[in-house]
Amino acid sequence: MAGVQLINLSKAYGDVEVLHDINLSIADGEFVVFVGPSGCGKSTLLRMIAGLEKATGGDVMIGDKRANDLSPRQRDIAMVFQSYALYPQMTVAQNMGFSLSLERRSKDEISQKVKEAAEALKLGPFLDRKPGQLSGGQRQRVAIGRAIVRNPQVFLLDEPLSNLDAALRSETRVEISELHQRMNTTMIYVTHDQVEAMTMADRIVVLNAGNIEQVGSPMDLYNHPESEFVAGFIGSPKMNFVKGRYAEAVGATTLGVRPEHFAIGQGDDTWEGRVTLVERLGHDTILYVNVRDAGALTVSLDGQHGHQVGDTVHLRPQLEFIHRFNEIGKPIVA
Amino acid sequence: MGRWLLLFVLGVIAILMVSPLILTVFTSFKPTTELVNPPWAPPVSLTYEHYVRVWTEAGFSRYFFNTLVISAVDAVVMIVIASLAAYAMVFMDFRGKLVLRVLFLIGLMIPVTAIVLPLFQIVRGFGLVNTHLGVIFADLALAVSVFVFMFSSYFVGVPKELHEAARIDGATEFQIYRRVVMPIATPAVVTTALLEFLWSWNDLLLRLLLLTRDEMRTLSVGLLNFQGTMTRDVTGLSSGTVIMAIPVVLLFLFFQRHFVRGMTAGAVK
Repeated sequence: MAGVQLINLSKAYGDVEVLHDINLSIADGEFVVFVGPSGCGKSTLLRMIAGLEKATGGDVMIGDKRANDLSPRQRDIAMVFQSYALYPQMTVAQNMGFSLSLERRSKDEISQKVKEAAEALKLGPFLDRKPGQLSGGQRQRVAIGRAIVRNPQVFLLDEPLSNLDAALRSETRVEISELHQRMNTTMIYVTHDQVEAMTMADRIVVLNAGNIEQVGSPMDLYNHPESEFVAGFIGSPKMNFVKGRYAEAVGATTLGVRPEHFAIGQGDDTWEGRVTLVERLGHDTILYVNVRDAGALTVSLDGQHGHQVGDTVHLRPQLEFIHRFNEIGKPIVA
Repeated sequence: MGRWLLLFVLGVIAILMVSPLILTVFTSFKPTTELVNPPWAPPVSLTYEHYVRVWTEAGFSRYFFNTLVISAVDAVVMIVIASLAAYAMVFMDFRGKLVLRVLFLIGLMIPVTAIVLPLFQIVRGFGLVNTHLGVIFADLALAVSVFVFMFSSYFVGVPKELHEAARIDGATEFQIYRRVVMPIATPAVVTTALLEFLWSWNDLLLRLLLLTRDEMRTLSVGLLNFQGTMTRDVTGLSSGTVIMAIPVVLLFLFFQRHFVRGMTAGAVK
């Protein structure tokens, strides 16, 4: 096991710099999630740690070794790809044992390790099948199995759940979290899905346009976003941003209110609006409300409510939870 | 109506293609006495005497062996060379890659007949005239561009992540080539083997130039023995042609499915 350090790391393709001066320290055994919109550079960053992309500047340290000039095999890392990247001509057992066979380990040792990993991932009955005969979820488990048999210093996972359906995604999410707890190996996980980031990470690294916007625990990012971008990216449904008189009333350029931080009430301190859409999820109800001078807002109410499209509602933002941002999108500290 | 017209046109084309083959097969089994009958008449009494004569007296057993050795070595070595070159072109980054690609492209464009004399000089320079090795080198050099492009178009369809996953698993480039990429390139391998084998099997020009000693000759050159300036041994020519065609036809029938897949590789995603 080893930690990972990125020191002034940058990457450019020709004249276009896609990652700028990235500094990050990942502790040994930590589960870190890189999250950000498409094209923010999170996968490139992961591939640079893996050794699949060369850094233009700066250093990648794995453990106490500078890894810039090491090939992927010398870095002692394992990676799970979004597309699974299983070898189609090999059986599940051969896929999982491929790295060990390259190291010329004995057949007994390979078979033992593959068996252990397969049992942990409930793949025992499928060891003789080819990847083409497996479901998407099973394939992803084989890809994870292929990574864990090597017992690497660092696990890298590049959007491993993106190709799975919603039910399987949440199931596999739990399995990966359990796997991390069991193995306690450093894991770096890339996703564009903030729910995955929030539920799995010890720490989240939010990337935007090749820069680190913020690093922190999921609750840190949720409660204390250091920019309008992070505030908008973390949390689902996403935070409402209101400009104009409502923002000015609290001394901000932009006022941020999470959908769950609205209450329905009456009185002068409420914002009157018209319901344009209602989504009933059972455990909560999402209202889309058009408020004059504030625009279209999303409101999340606990439990089941009888609001209908066209109803007039009065929204009261819970002042203790609001976020105030200045003109450059940075939070205003009281 | 359109369907019938299409069937008619296809039928005419099929007849045009198959008729010389039928004529050849008929003639090869006809006793010499029946040669005065119309050529399209099937043999009344079948005889194998021409096949025996061609195989033994006319030296076709030796020609067959020579052709088989050259074609088989051509096919196997071509698979190795072309797939390795294509692997490097598709999966590896190196200086001069573009130049190499252009050189291969030029290799595709130059007709064999245009360079056959310089090629002869080169082979002679190496002292390889009248050796099978000389013909094999010339064959490989002339056709390698085609097969590098064929393998390249197949390899481009191999997901990049497979190559990356193997690198992460600790495989060297050669291990990735041998254990990951080649096992899934069967259609390209089969197509290369068949096409190179066929070209080598049927080639006349290079063999005529490079193999002048009778014991080194191949089937295509051997067939010329049946044609003189004034005379023609029609039955010998026919049975020799059938002997020459049989292995290729069998190979195609056997590997047809793979062959079609290899030829269409890269056509659609």
